[in-house]
Amino acid sequence: MSSRKPDIVVALAGNPNSGKTTIFNGLTGSKQHVGNWPGVTVEKKEGFFQFKGKKIQVVDLPGTYSLSSYTIDEKIARDYLIHEKPDIVVIIADASNLERHLLLFLQIRELGLPVIVVLNMMDVAESRGMKIRVHCLETALKVPVIPTIGNKGIGIDILKEKIVEGVGEQKVKLPYYLGEGFLNILKSIMELLQEEDIDYPPLFFGMKLLEEDPEFLHKVNELSSREKVNCLLEKARSLARMDLGTCITERRFGYLHGIVKECISSIAALHDRIYLSDRIDRILTNRFLGIPLFLLFMFLTFQIVFKFGAPLSELLSTGFDMLGVRFSILLQREGVSPMVISFIRDGLIGGVGSIVSFLPNIFLLFFIIAFFEDTGYMARASFVMDEIMHKMGLHGKSFIPMVLGFGCNVPAILATRTLDTHKDRILTILVNPLISCSARLPIYILFAGIFFPENQGLVIFSLYTLGILLAFIMGNIFKRLFFKGEETHLIMELPPYHMPVIKNILRISWHRSYLFLKKAGTVIFASVIVVWILSSLPPGVEYGSANSYLGRIGQFIAPIFKPAGFGFYQAAVALLAGVMAKEQVVSTLGALFGINLKTALSSVFNPVSAYAFMVMSLIYIPCVATIAAIKQEAGWKWALFTTTYTLILGWLMAVIIYQVGRILFL
Amino acid sequence: MMPLSSVPPGKYRIAEIAGGRNFLMRLSNMGVLRGDIITVIKPAPGPVVIAKGQTRIGIGTGMASRIYVVPQT
Repeated sequence: MSSRKPDIVVALAGNPNSGKTTIFNGLTGSKQHVGNWPGVTVEKKEGFFQFKGKKIQVVDLPGTYSLSSYTIDEKIARDYLIHEKPDIVVIIADASNLERHLLLFLQIRELGLPVIVVLNMMDVAESRGMKIRVHCLETALKVPVIPTIGNKGIGIDILKEKIVEGVGEQKVKLPYYLGEGFLNILKSIMELLQEEDIDYPPLFFGMKLLEEDPEFLHKVNELSSREKVNCLLEKARSLARMDLGTCITERRFGYLHGIVKECISSIAALHDRIYLSDRIDRILTNRFLGIPLFLLFMFLTFQIVFKFGAPLSELLSTGFDMLGVRFSILLQREGVSPMVISFIRDGLIGGVGSIVSFLPNIFLLFFIIAFFEDTGYMARASFVMDEIMHKMGLHGKSFIPMVLGFGCNVPAILATRTLDTHKDRILTILVNPLISCSARLPIYILFAGIFFPENQGLVIFSLYTLGILLAFIMGNIFKRLFFKGEETHLIMELPPYHMPVIKNILRISWHRSYLFLKKAGTVIFASVIVVWILSSLPPGVEYGSANSYLGRIGQFIAPIFKPAGFGFYQAAVALLAGVMAKEQVVSTLGALFGINLKTALSSVFNPVSAYAFMVMSLIYIPCVATIAAIKQEAGWKWALFTTTYTLILGWLMAVIIYQVGRILFL
Repeated sequence: MMPLSSVPPGKYRIAEIAGGRNFLMRLSNMGVLRGDIITVIKPAPGPVVIAKGQTRIGIGTGMASRIYVVPQT
């Protein structure tokens, strides 16, 4: 495709579940690009299409109910519309839910942007006995209205035609539906705002003030006419005789209700209908069945991810091993120095291999999550788990990331993107590393096998439970420390269940896997090289031995672990290497103690210090990939914080366990 | 007048919503307002699922206890 600038920029706006994605796919086909919105990690989808010789860029805004400032998505949509000023905003509304979907229309019109309204899912509306008079809507809303059936591609060409043709001048009307009292106050506020240096159209700003949007109320303090504005708002509040914001929204809906009543006639008495989807909900969100069914789905997810993923993973890592061996033989023949060969084999190929071999599990995991999202079950799962998660100081939607953490903390942290508020995201991210990921399991298996052969399963189970328990405790502590008084409410639209579209699921899961590879990959890769360098220098030392730089660092920090019962350099080096990837704890111990690992370990550890070491491995510093994911999703500050608190907590727990256990058992 | 968290399935009118700004706005942005007629699809305990027109909305138990409804016949 030519890289010339687009002739027309179109933004797609609409409520969640308005079928916005199907319209976006319909317009752009496969010419899509997924990135992130600046400064935040909410996915930004862009695409292009050519029509009648014009190049049109389509930007898919996050699905929102309004342009207020209650969620990240709403702020992104609002800021984009205000600062980027797209040529046309296409508002996608669910034809069978028009009243509610048009609230966003009113707010976007207040920004003064040219608008086309798309009535999507016309077939559903018709099947539910609704008759929509499109011309009537066009007259009432004074903008073009185009009926579509997004998933069948019906109406897309007409929409393209309209976009290219343009919508001409659309005059912004004052909201007469507010009634004279509010309207006069609004006009006075707008007059004052006209004199101010603000980024927003006065009408939009004024309406946001009447809605009592906290962000805009705050902006008033920066105005030179703040006293007059606040005085006018006070007048509006006494006029409302109830919550002003709600009063304004009620009037908006009153106006929209009138339009919908005039232009839509329903044949059947629809409001009492209970659909198949409702019947499914009565089972899946049932008090007694909801949680067991959810756990069953999670169990199946795990089985699929690890049973099907494991052989593929192993195949990939064996492949990389073989590649490493081949390469080193080839290079040896060429007379390349052993140093360089080791770098290529252990550092480059081994490093890349350790990342890529995770890919099958990660992809399967994302595939299943996308599947649950697409069917509509994910929204229900959050509800089912809400009460339990609240006890952890978290949110119903935090549950998925927590469960994913048992597999790998990296995708788990990426999955916090589904959470609406900053607070819930940060809290979920902070406690996630305490959930024992699969990479830590080999450590438990090794130590429990040597020191607790009778109770191996019980010991391992106790570690997982300890992790969950600590997540509960830390979640509550962090909530009190950092997010005091902020309460979030679980209110969610539950879209009807529907058959998933495999193509969409594949697209989403591939994109997320790719992000994992790219972001986590670069960091893991870099750190693998650092470990390799530290293990093989100064020149001539045995890889990872006590005399290598890594060994010397280990000897330096080993005394710190003396109170926990494992103050020898091998343990310290293993833990250091474990920061690269938790699997490396075992492989490093193997390298340091040699072939008779089990005998060697039983001579330096006793059951109590072995348990303390396992607890340390569970809690201390997340692996670099996880730290990188936290940095990417929450910023450096929280990444550093997590690293620090887990280190302190891990050390404390290990010391307590060793000291108490020593008295009791030794 | 009863809290939404303690009523059986059926048709109700929303009489009062007692909650903070944030809560009120989120509900009203989703089209749930005082005076609306709603149907309780799935009652408490656990999250309440209500129907308003063609929309289904799930509300956490804590939040549902702050929405007061009157039965409609």
